[in-house]
Amino acid sequence: MSENPTRLSPAARLSRWLKNVASAARARRQAAEKRNLHLGNEHSEPVANAGSASAAVFRLPVKWLVSGPPFIFLLLFFVAPGLIMVLASFRYPGEFGGLAPVISVDPNALHGLTLETYGFFFSDLIYAEIFAKSFLVALAATLTCLVMAYPLALLIARSPKKSRDPMVLLVILPFASNFLIRIYAWMILLGPQAVPSLLVNGLLGTLGMAPVHLLFSPFAVLVALVYVHLPFMVLPLYTNLEKHDPVLLDAARDLGANAWQRFWRVTFPLSLPGIFSGATLVFIPVLGMFAIPDILGGTGDMLIGNLIKEQFLGTRDWPFGSTLSIMLTITVLACVWLAARLGGMGRRHA
Amino acid sequence: MRSLLLCIMLLIGNARAENVLYLYNWNNYISDETVARFEKQCACRVMQDYYSDNEEMLAKLAAGASGYDIIVPTGNAMESLIRQKALRPLDKSRLPNLRNINPAYLNTAFDPGNRFSVPYAYTLSLLGYNAEKMREQGLPTDTWAVIFEPKYLEKVKGRITVLDSQRELMAAALKYLGYSANDTDELHWKQARDLIIRAKPYWAAFNASSYIKELTVGDIWLVHGYSNDIFQANLDAQKAGRKFSIASGIPKEGAVLALDSMVLHKTGPRPDLAHQFINFMLDGSNSAELTNLIGSGNPNRDALQYIHPEIAQNPAIFPDPQHQMHLEMLRDLNRHQRRVLSRIWTEIKLK
Repeated sequence: MSENPTRLSPAARLSRWLKNVASAARARRQAAEKRNLHLGNEHSEPVANAGSASAAVFRLPVKWLVSGPPFIFLLLFFVAPGLIMVLASFRYPGEFGGLAPVISVDPNALHGLTLETYGFFFSDLIYAEIFAKSFLVALAATLTCLVMAYPLALLIARSPKKSRDPMVLLVILPFASNFLIRIYAWMILLGPQAVPSLLVNGLLGTLGMAPVHLLFSPFAVLVALVYVHLPFMVLPLYTNLEKHDPVLLDAARDLGANAWQRFWRVTFPLSLPGIFSGATLVFIPVLGMFAIPDILGGTGDMLIGNLIKEQFLGTRDWPFGSTLSIMLTITVLACVWLAARLGGMGRRHA
Repeated sequence: MRSLLLCIMLLIGNARAENVLYLYNWNNYISDETVARFEKQCACRVMQDYYSDNEEMLAKLAAGASGYDIIVPTGNAMESLIRQKALRPLDKSRLPNLRNINPAYLNTAFDPGNRFSVPYAYTLSLLGYNAEKMREQGLPTDTWAVIFEPKYLEKVKGRITVLDSQRELMAAALKYLGYSANDTDELHWKQARDLIIRAKPYWAAFNASSYIKELTVGDIWLVHGYSNDIFQANLDAQKAGRKFSIASGIPKEGAVLALDSMVLHKTGPRPDLAHQFINFMLDGSNSAELTNLIGSGNPNRDALQYIHPEIAQNPAIFPDPQHQMHLEMLRDLNRHQRRVLSRIWTEIKLK
């Protein structure tokens, strides 16, 4: 690589500049330390040394500089709202929606903190039922995505280098159009007068079975969920598969493994981390989805996301909506933890 | 900095000088011609903001939106605005046209004595249907039975949508069972729930808006929907040259009437213009324009003469006295009732 500074990319220049800053800072700190050494006694020295840090700590300000904005962003827009939500779940709903006050001048007005939303949540199996159902739907969507994405990711990863980028671009191309427009497009595609419906019902008709409605059904919901989330499965899988060393497969072939064995004993175990990150990226958003069941679902396709949305709009019950959201967050975090552990295990196996 | 301040002051000064009325209204709920005519008459401008449901409007106001002279909420939303003391009382001496309003729509439970509100237009929740298909199947269109009774439902299975609204659908079921739409007896709610769960397998979907399109295309034959939407669906079907027409039927058991009223928001800077606007809208010919545009119900007696006869004679938009007797406006539920109803609704959707 050329070391000519004028030909460095801006990123490289920036990193070199940061390195210079870091080393300058290190030199300055060391000089300061020398000046300060004689001020302490022999007991203070280990303490001072523990406090005076390695090179890694000296780079800390730079790290903070870089990771500060996203950190503050997460603090402001994830942690703070999360805490507000936790607080809201312990309050009473306001008469007209919103929240009843925590402190009230009028002692007769409903106010204060309560556990009633949690009591209400656990008082009826129906909420566990809707959680279970949403999990099953999310699981079905994730597995379908996996089955459809794996061959595609493999195909892209094994294509000549030149054609990979255009293929990846094609995978993410649907993001160029609005999410809701794509969902409404499915309403037309699955409608009773559209080709898929006519084909399916024609086939069922020749078999002597009653016609079915594709639109407003669990099938329509699943199709759209898979359609929307497929790229989230393809991309991590592709990134993983692309890194596999082809020499491994050659070695396996030399040792007499057939195509299936090469896939099942070599490629698949190596791709487990990709599968787990893809599955997490699909499973979690599907779990909170409400627009798709609203638009394409039939009379029984309510998911947990719809229920939460309804608490904040129609029912105007913010505390209970918050409780449901917290329950969902807890289960999602549990899933991520599980996926991370399984993913870690997969890596160790490989 | 000083020049910025100057700019802002100039802008404010301009707005004052220009006479602007800020109207916060439903989407597509006033005709452009009406607005233009009012602007000419008052030598002012009308600035409109829109909402698509009451909750959205209430949420925006609760979040601190201000400066609206006039809002057009539905009964229960208006009641909560009144109880939040967010409205300005009307000065009726400035509303001589108020006498045009049919007394049946005055003095509602939401605003006794109409201290704050003047009726604007109303919508009914009723049956909308594909006239040809319903005739072919020989189904009645004047009773809720057609969306709740399996013997009728069998003939239109998968061709029906009902409103995706807890209150509206429960009201229809309660009416069919012979109770009030505002019944809050949990036992009656459970009966309504069972009725809905029995009929649910025959319905295609709970649907709050796309049923207009589905009716127009001919994929859905029967809906529980809003009278304005069904009117719109028929207009669209005729425009698209369909061979069928979409009609509306008012159930004999009764239905929900949603009355939207004009109210003055406390933060509105121009109550004088607002009164002028309300009085203008109370004029029969101005009021009729909205009905002719979207097929909304009209509480203005003086407007009837200006309304297209096919709308004026439509019993699903202007019900006869006997049907009118069975119409009900939905009252707001308290927080406990809302939570219980939401659980019943969850059961309905999950079963």
